[in-house]
Amino acid sequence: MRRSYLFIPGDVPRMLQNLDVFDADAVIIDFEDGVHPDQKEAARQLTRAFLKHHATRDVAVFVRVNAWEEAAWFQEDLACLSGSPLSGIVLPKAHPKHLTDVVFALEEAGLPMQIVALLETPEVFFHALELAKHPAVSGLLLGGEDLTQALGVPRTSAGDEILFARSTLVYAAKAFNKEAIDTPFTTVDDRDGLLADAHKANALGFTGKAAIHPNHIHDIHVAFAPSVEAIETAERILRRSETLKSMRFSLDGKMVDKPVVERARALLLRAAASRRR
Amino acid sequence: MKKVTVGTLESSDCQITLSPATHRHVVIDSVVQAVFGEAIEAVIHRVLDQAGLDSVRVDVIDKGALDYAIEARLKTAIKYYEEAADEKELSIHTG
Repeated sequence: MRRSYLFIPGDVPRMLQNLDVFDADAVIIDFEDGVHPDQKEAARQLTRAFLKHHATRDVAVFVRVNAWEEAAWFQEDLACLSGSPLSGIVLPKAHPKHLTDVVFALEEAGLPMQIVALLETPEVFFHALELAKHPAVSGLLLGGEDLTQALGVPRTSAGDEILFARSTLVYAAKAFNKEAIDTPFTTVDDRDGLLADAHKANALGFTGKAAIHPNHIHDIHVAFAPSVEAIETAERILRRSETLKSMRFSLDGKMVDKPVVERARALLLRAAASRRR
Repeated sequence: MKKVTVGTLESSDCQITLSPATHRHVVIDSVVQAVFGEAIEAVIHRVLDQAGLDSVRVDVIDKGALDYAIEARLKTAIKYYEEAADEKELSIHTG
């Protein structure tokens, strides 16, 4: 599971050639909303040439192509990326009714069958399970800006307006063991706001969070790493379980049973994975 | 045929202008001209050769772009340049 997905515009060389120095677990090279229509071809050519000549270290590379409905752009995106060493694509305006065609197009272009589905319309949240169930879908990503625009409400730092979408996405992704990726925090210089938002995403069950600025990566990793206290408690739970040869006991006045032991084990695995990165 | 310009003057990028000429003519203005001028010119000629483009003037203002960026910017410029040529031919045929 990747904790951070950093968006990088596909038409800016100085960002492309530094994509593996920002410490993000994954980057998303953007061909869609972050690129002006006049610059789409430049983004395609720059990205293709960059991926052809430069090996990227320790970072998964995705491209947010244009939406399936933007047929000409979508086809040109895939044609230009054909054979490129990508981890996968991010599919905007994802909907289950397009997935068969998208998978066919990916096959034709010789691209990996790894789709991060971007959910950004109110309707698609009622199809989230269908998206998560599809074998080519590796994760679900919440698109908060387009969603709130469609809902006709402002984005707030508290995020109440996207709570239903967040929870729906997490439940669907977890039902099929897929990545659940939270929407980016869009205020660049509000560090407290970012930390609060990322902690909330972690608490809701997201496995990672997207970012629109490299400065956000560190704080996202902090928020998604288990705390020292949580690690210590998990270690004590596992030690006691091992000592008692039981998954049912009391610790600090709280009942511990099998789900709690398994959660402790999962938390320690996540902590170990965070330390390795 | 129209003049076509692509790219930016930001760091690590370059701006490339293609315009009609009777033969291939490459002009490079680079912040790293002394060290990389020949390498930049080699990239330009390789891409022009691949495109089979000879009657063209190429003006490059380089701000420290790597080879991949120069190649990509030039390929984009050639695409737009050839599209502009096609549009002109179409207007001649239909005019």
